[in-house]
Amino acid sequence: MSLELFTSLLADALVIFGVFIMTIGVYGMIRLPDTYTRLHAASKAVVLGVISLLVASVVTGDPKIIFRVVLIAAFLVLTTPVSAHVIARAAYARGEGMRSPDAVDESDKGLISDHRP
Amino acid sequence: MHEIVFYFAVAWMTGLLAISVAAVIKIHSTAGRILALDMLTLILVALLVLYADANRSPYYLDAAFILALLAFVGTVAAARYHGQRKIF
Repeated sequence: MSLELFTSLLADALVIFGVFIMTIGVYGMIRLPDTYTRLHAASKAVVLGVISLLVASVVTGDPKIIFRVVLIAAFLVLTTPVSAHVIARAAYARGEGMRSPDAVDESDKGLISDHRP
Repeated sequence: MHEIVFYFAVAWMTGLLAISVAAVIKIHSTAGRILALDMLTLILVALLVLYADANRSPYYLDAAFILALLAFVGTVAAARYHGQRKIF
């Protein structure tokens, strides 16, 4: 098997893996009950999918593409935890209810609502 | 990357984009909507990366980087305004 065919197949596998992981993230976004659990799907699964797609385009070997891809990947890894933290803080400050079945509320705000699925 | 994988991935991610637009409309809490918008922009970034990869053209990646940057700033501003009623 030549090197070119191998790298092409590697890029195929990484693209399919990334699309699969992003599908899991979107499915979790529409399936999970409240904001606190949706943060898991949106901030971990989707970013892992995007980074897998970015690694797939490193395989092309063009230095211009590789430089930009590393920049985007580093930026996403640095900023996604920050935005997830800010969204979680906003949801907590506004007193959004927790609706997952085994939620633990350690604040005194009474965030666990009685209406559970 | 083979051509058929590229077409499959673009079609599938366009479907994911439509589903996340529906999620932005359908989710009832504001923090959940901000989160869904953030995810939608990440899917757009992934589409641009796929397009740059298939065309071997680095310029779409500039657009992807700017989109990720604007999405971060917008998410932080909207979430801080929603939670603390002030941005800074």
